[in-house]
Amino acid sequence: MSQEIVDTVTKYLTPNIPIKQISQGAEAVVFTSSAHPYLPTPEHDADGKPLQYIIKYRPPKKYRHPIIDRQLTKHRTLSEARLLSKLFLIGGINVPKLIATDPYNGCLWLEFLGEDLPNNSGFSNLKNFLWANVNDPYNDVVKSTLIKVGEQIGLLHFNDFCHGDLTSSNIVLARDDTQSNDWKVFLIDFGLGSMSKLVEDKGVDLYVLERAIISTHSAFSDKYNEWIIEGFSNVYNKHGKGGETKLKEVLKRFSDVRMRGRKRTMIG
Amino acid sequence: MVNLNTVPPRNNRDYYIAIGLEGSANKLGVGVIKCSRSAHMASGDNSHNCDVEILSNIRNTYVTPPGEGFLPRDTARHHRNWCVRIIKQALEEAEIKNPHLDIDVICFTRGPGMGAPLHSVAIAARTCSLLWDVPLVGVNHCVGHIEMGREITKAENPVVLYVSGGNTQVIAYSENRYRIFGETLDVAIGNCLDRFARTLKIPNAPSPGYNIEQLAKNCKNKDSLIELSYTVKGMDLSMSGILAYIDTLAKDLFRGNKKNRLLFDKETGEPKVTVEDLCYSLQENLFAMLVEITERAMAHVNATQVLIVGGVGSNTRLQEMMGQMCKDRANGKVHATDERFCIDNGVMIAQAGLLQYRMGDYVKDLSETVVTQKFRTDEVYVSWRE
Amino acid sequence: MILPQFPDYEINVSLYENVQNAADIQSRVAELPYAFIDANMICSVEQLTAAIYRTLMESTYNRLRTKTLHSEVLLALSPTSNIGEAFKKFGVKSTSERLIVVQINENGSQKIDDSLVQGDSVEFKDENLQSYCDVDAIRKVYKLDKSFQSNNTSDLSRALVDAIQLRGL
Repeated sequence: MSQEIVDTVTKYLTPNIPIKQISQGAEAVVFTSSAHPYLPTPEHDADGKPLQYIIKYRPPKKYRHPIIDRQLTKHRTLSEARLLSKLFLIGGINVPKLIATDPYNGCLWLEFLGEDLPNNSGFSNLKNFLWANVNDPYNDVVKSTLIKVGEQIGLLHFNDFCHGDLTSSNIVLARDDTQSNDWKVFLIDFGLGSMSKLVEDKGVDLYVLERAIISTHSAFSDKYNEWIIEGFSNVYNKHGKGGETKLKEVLKRFSDVRMRGRKRTMIG
Repeated sequence: MVNLNTVPPRNNRDYYIAIGLEGSANKLGVGVIKCSRSAHMASGDNSHNCDVEILSNIRNTYVTPPGEGFLPRDTARHHRNWCVRIIKQALEEAEIKNPHLDIDVICFTRGPGMGAPLHSVAIAARTCSLLWDVPLVGVNHCVGHIEMGREITKAENPVVLYVSGGNTQVIAYSENRYRIFGETLDVAIGNCLDRFARTLKIPNAPSPGYNIEQLAKNCKNKDSLIELSYTVKGMDLSMSGILAYIDTLAKDLFRGNKKNRLLFDKETGEPKVTVEDLCYSLQENLFAMLVEITERAMAHVNATQVLIVGGVGSNTRLQEMMGQMCKDRANGKVHATDERFCIDNGVMIAQAGLLQYRMGDYVKDLSETVVTQKFRTDEVYVSWRE
Repeated sequence: MILPQFPDYEINVSLYENVQNAADIQSRVAELPYAFIDANMICSVEQLTAAIYRTLMESTYNRLRTKTLHSEVLLALSPTSNIGEAFKKFGVKSTSERLIVVQINENGSQKIDDSLVQGDSVEFKDENLQSYCDVDAIRKVYKLDKSFQSNNTSDLSRALVDAIQLRGL
């Protein structure tokens, strides 16, 4: 990444806020920081370790006219923040906590979720988690986790929200508590998310995730995708006849999308 | 393993000669290329580095009066009228005396494009093939642009932004296909500019897009913009709404509709914006959308290079914006060609067709030469790349 | 307290219980250089500091809606952009027994005048706030839907922090 972006963000955040870059997408650069923007006393996790925070920064794009750039940055930062806040109010959906929103500078502060997996398996997103279990690919924890993944997506879709970029890296696992082996599943990065009643959008969400699983864990993908759909269906089936009908519609479109092949089948 | 020397050149030559015929829209192009059969082409990924020599590149454009677009029927008639003359001229310039001995393959555009013009040129290609007894290859127009761009710029594996009158696509190569990452959901960028030019009644020569570009350059007030919607949807984009809106503005401006407060001052009734301002705002808005979806595709496949092809690709403002985007990405580099290769031409069809031919993929029966108006870039099996 | 992103501002916050002179303070709100907040409406430290953060951010980008930083803090706490309503809902009431006093100093350090509020000063921390915040009133003011069940204060607080960040945007 160009040093210029780091300089701009450091100037804006002031040197009082230490930052470490963790990823760069097309639209945003993601940093972690040990500083909280406004809490007077530091927060700690259950083990007593100081908490980290995520700063998602949408740098100005010099190629576009400054007026367009300002409007877009503001609009997108806000729409992502709004989405996170709406999703939190829906019971059962796990998304990162929104800490601060600066639409003028395209900056979001979010709760840091996840941890490093044992044996250098990387950060605890779904992709790395499945890799870490490659020697025992069908164990109970994998199964229950994937069902939970399906349930999260089910809740999202049932409430007429779509993720827009549902890859296995955008699903993060965090431990329920430090003792247990159980994972709590979070959906992250709602940069392309939206409110949508369209079955097409939901079908594409499911398809994109299925492709992601197939392309990275092809040997076990059948079972994995089956578990995800099991969890997904659980949510809809809890809502009686109406829920079942909706489920059928979504799954029907999902298989349509799969048949015709989403034109952009490039994942990862 | 890709062996580009699968089919040897005719008559024991050590080089190939291909002729390309293009006529999917209002340009009729014929080009002849020469390409040596060097040993390094027998293995590896070298399709972007063929040492192509361009022997001739002739083009004739069907230009309509200002305010009018080109209709399929009239365009086809233009192509039929000019076809023989242009082919002769191309052969002459390439110094090919005996086409039945010297030419390895005849390449023609099989689609996508307008039906009638495509058809006219395909008939010419079939005729030449029978006349000279030279094999035929049907080429996807978009793949032609991509292969020519790669050859000229030597960009090995770029993300391709294909922007022309009929197409707007972001393409990346993967597993023997040029896969479409994002595209327009309605009208193409070039079509959008052409139609706006028609409303403005600006000349169609040399091209409407070029004239809009010049007007935009002369915009006096680049600090302000006319607000247009920004309709990027994931990796796709939509332009019909923007076109409809700016079209109404242009019409109001010409008609002197003083009720439009955006265009005319409330008190004095003087116009606040000019045609130049409209062109500038339209370009800034549309191009920003194009660059954005290209950047998304680059981030997705971890690419560092961009190749812009297609008629709109010769727009210097678009190239400049793309360059700026690449500069801000690590090691980013933008490749663009000039109008000789950006705008539809016969050479690019010859180049893509020859690659296909060298892999042994040519027409075995004339029934395979039926043209098709809808021919998606990802339908082509790209045998000549790893 | 200093927020890392806005080092030029020094912020003092005091929490009082058993306040005796709320009516007197309420009548002088306009002239006193503090924000007086009814502590029953605050359920956590982050609820208030998020509002202060928003205030300083708006101030930095010249987007203040009110005349002073202190009145802006009250507006920032509110889920609506109506300033009068914000004062009515979050400001000191004549009957308030628990008060939070906020002072924001730009380029200078002053202290909150101890003699101002007649009551018992207690530490400004989550445990103290939670013990007497009026959850029903807070839910009503922030228009939280019944379907949102806040089983604990941290969920409630999170919903409020979201509302504070997004008000009017």
